[in-house]
Amino acid sequence: MTDNSLDLRAVQFSGLAARIRRLDASILLWLALIAVLAFLILNPVLRLIVSSLQETDTGRFTLANYRTAYGSIRHLQSLLNSLELGVGVALLATCFAVPIAWAISRTDMPGKAFVRLMVFAAFVTPPYLGAIGWILLAGPNSGWLNKVWMALTGAGHGVFNIYSMTGLILVIAVTSFPYTFVFTSSALDLVSSEMEDAANILGARTLRTTLRITLPLVTPAIIGGIIISFLEAIALFGAPALIALPARFNVVSTQLWQFFEYPVRVEEAAAYSMPLLAITVLMFWLQRQILGRRGYTSVTGKGGERRMIALGPWRWVMLGYALLVCALSVFLPMLVLLQAAFAKAWGRGFSLDNLTLHNFYYLLFEQTQAKQTILNTFVYSAVTAFAAISLSLAIAYVVSRKLVPWSNVLAFLCVAPFVVPGIVLAIGFYAAYAPPPLALYGTATILILGFTTRFLPIAYTSSAAGLRSINPEMEEAVRILGGSRLLAIRKVLVPLLKKSLAGAWILVFIPATRELSSAIFLVGPNTRVISVMLFDLSEEGNFEVLSALGVILLVVTVAIAAIGSRMIGRDFMLRRNS
Amino acid sequence: MFPIRRRNFILGSSAFLVLGTCGKALAQTATAMTPHEKELYEAAKKEGGELTWYTAQSDDITAQALGRSFEALYPGLKVNVLRTTAQVAYQRVTQEIKASAIQCDILSTTDIGHAVALKANGALEKYVPDNSSKVLDVYKNYDPDGYYFVTSAGMIGIGYNTSKVKEADAPKNWTDLLDPKWNNNIALGHPGFSGYVGTWALTLRNQYGWDFFEKLAKNNPRVGRSINDTVTMLNAGESAIAGSGPVGTLLESVQKGNPLAMIYPTDGTVLIIAPSGIMKGCKHPNAARLFMEFLMSEGASKIWVDHFNETIRPEVSAPQGAKSAKDVKIIRPTVEQITKGIPEVIKQWRETFGV
Repeated sequence: MTDNSLDLRAVQFSGLAARIRRLDASILLWLALIAVLAFLILNPVLRLIVSSLQETDTGRFTLANYRTAYGSIRHLQSLLNSLELGVGVALLATCFAVPIAWAISRTDMPGKAFVRLMVFAAFVTPPYLGAIGWILLAGPNSGWLNKVWMALTGAGHGVFNIYSMTGLILVIAVTSFPYTFVFTSSALDLVSSEMEDAANILGARTLRTTLRITLPLVTPAIIGGIIISFLEAIALFGAPALIALPARFNVVSTQLWQFFEYPVRVEEAAAYSMPLLAITVLMFWLQRQILGRRGYTSVTGKGGERRMIALGPWRWVMLGYALLVCALSVFLPMLVLLQAAFAKAWGRGFSLDNLTLHNFYYLLFEQTQAKQTILNTFVYSAVTAFAAISLSLAIAYVVSRKLVPWSNVLAFLCVAPFVVPGIVLAIGFYAAYAPPPLALYGTATILILGFTTRFLPIAYTSSAAGLRSINPEMEEAVRILGGSRLLAIRKVLVPLLKKSLAGAWILVFIPATRELSSAIFLVGPNTRVISVMLFDLSEEGNFEVLSALGVILLVVTVAIAAIGSRMIGRDFMLRRNS
Repeated sequence: MFPIRRRNFILGSSAFLVLGTCGKALAQTATAMTPHEKELYEAAKKEGGELTWYTAQSDDITAQALGRSFEALYPGLKVNVLRTTAQVAYQRVTQEIKASAIQCDILSTTDIGHAVALKANGALEKYVPDNSSKVLDVYKNYDPDGYYFVTSAGMIGIGYNTSKVKEADAPKNWTDLLDPKWNNNIALGHPGFSGYVGTWALTLRNQYGWDFFEKLAKNNPRVGRSINDTVTMLNAGESAIAGSGPVGTLLESVQKGNPLAMIYPTDGTVLIIAPSGIMKGCKHPNAARLFMEFLMSEGASKIWVDHFNETIRPEVSAPQGAKSAKDVKIIRPTVEQITKGIPEVIKQWRETFGV
């Protein structure tokens, strides 16, 4: 018989040791991740929330900021305008994205590679650059489309007016629909044809199968896309500044900008940005409610077969629709931007004697900041992408495998920055880290930290989506056979995720190159990025030089993304089975 | 040894500039450096050879020309030119002060109220440039304590697109802008951004009361940000009339061949007096002092005139084909009115125009 006390001691020892080991590892991990997230997100955001309840000078508790922030009809109207904008963009972007994603992923529509490339082009186009393109296209008196209309019909007035809410919705939707597209198409690529076949065998036609089987299977992706385009639309600053201002209405972001005019009223701004936070929390709660208990895991270790649906003549209709969307988002704006970039005066039109390279010469040789600015943009964006992906992958893994208690808190923190409009986030960052002791104002560090926080949600969403599509069974198999978790991660997870991580890198890199709203408060004179320079140039309406700088931004971004995806052997838009 | 090498360098670099597209730096190389300037120049090179200049006083092109000219005059010094509207520049400067991380060395604003407020808060460095006694009398002594100095001036009138509006039909004075025939066809800047537009709005409020803007809003003008944006809108054919037309930018555009013309309103052209000052605690105080000397020099005024702005030096005459401030009827508010009035005007503007 075993000695009782020895047994007890052994049990205690092994139990305790195991517990300590587990607690140690997981708690340390949890603490480390929490510390990073607290630095990046909690501290700046909490500082904003607290300051929304403080008196400016004394720091005493007060509700006066809320009274001032909401005590004006104009301020309330801006909130409503933002909601209208967000809903409009989300709906329009879904209408653009889902049919194209479906056609590319599931059907025999011709010209897929080209359409995919154009969607990518729409994705790299910053919304404010798209907005400038559309100002040149649909300015009420001078826009090309209106000029053509007037020439054709002899009318005295144009028909399109970009300086309107509809115009703004269109401009933002054409540059943000790629989010929904990427989410939907990568989800569609994972759905095998088996379930569609089952429906077909039971007598359902293509349309019915698509609407009842295929699309419902990718609901999480579509809803994710809707939420992201909604939040993106209400948080954008550049395009509304270019279009809403002349259209004489404000949205939340342009209204927030006014709080930062002299005298800076950070406290009121903080109070004014609270509804945005509330909306985001609500949206993610809704998403959970809708998706909650249903199972969407349709990817396992076994590869399902995927066949393309033959559309017959309808495939040309689909192509036509895809090209229409491409025209709105890429062909037309790019055409006029290129024209302006190489024009002496864009209003003089397409003629040889109007051609010049001077806009580029001016940027690269006379405007001495442009070169530094271009370099800054790409270095900061690349570093940001690495930082955001590493952090979000660690967190996504911890969350999806429930390694620590309260892991959902981590997940929430990761997506929280998306709701904080870039401007507000930047102000939180500015308040928290610009002054001593950290004294980061005017440094590259504060920009990179700010960008990392801002794009953590994208990095996290793609990492988590990647992880979610991988059934834990495969890791569990490793563990059951005695392999450690690290081994499972190294040998199973990383190889499976390599491509989606590289895709995620590009997904963060590109928006970072075009980020304006948070950059505008964090740049110093030596850390300017292209977006801020474009914004400064746009004040004067110097469209020729602006377009030239925009063209440089696009060309370099596309080149880097192309090299990147060539290196990882994967095409731009995260296609899985290429 | 050294001066000869330097001169060679200057000659060489200016020859290069002439061969290139801009020959504006050439004239200045002739003037010799005073001992004081030389002293500042040597000190500036030691403190890093750099200078950060936030300016709202011109369009980007003129600002860059000034920066390049300074660099040609003082080889080894580099000017980071950041052109924005006045309120944006001010916002950045106040941010820097709040974070106690001053990045800007010299602030050139178009809202003299900024200089007054910064001086009151102790944010400006006192420095009296040698050249400050050599400018035209009207631009002297705005701050007898020597914290900021007028470094440029410009006028605001009414601009129009000659291919859309006949000279006879064009507005003759400010109240003509209220004529309903200009509905949807007037371009304006925004006082919440542009210091020029702020002063312009204040001047017209003094003249006609805020009622003027209530009526102007009924004509549904297109509101941009910078005052220079109005010229772009005329060139594009988006608007027929620039309600706040910056004389310098507009006439430069005419010179480039655009179909524009300038009206000096019979009830007065608005004159803007734009100051510059050195930021206290800035990183390059000597380069900043040297740049203040430069901004008030004959050479800088030549560049301003080349770009159709006012000269502040008596040696330089007004640009060809342009009227100078002394040839037209001028209206302008006092510094006290600006300091107090522009924040009010911005608020009223937002109520009236919705943005």
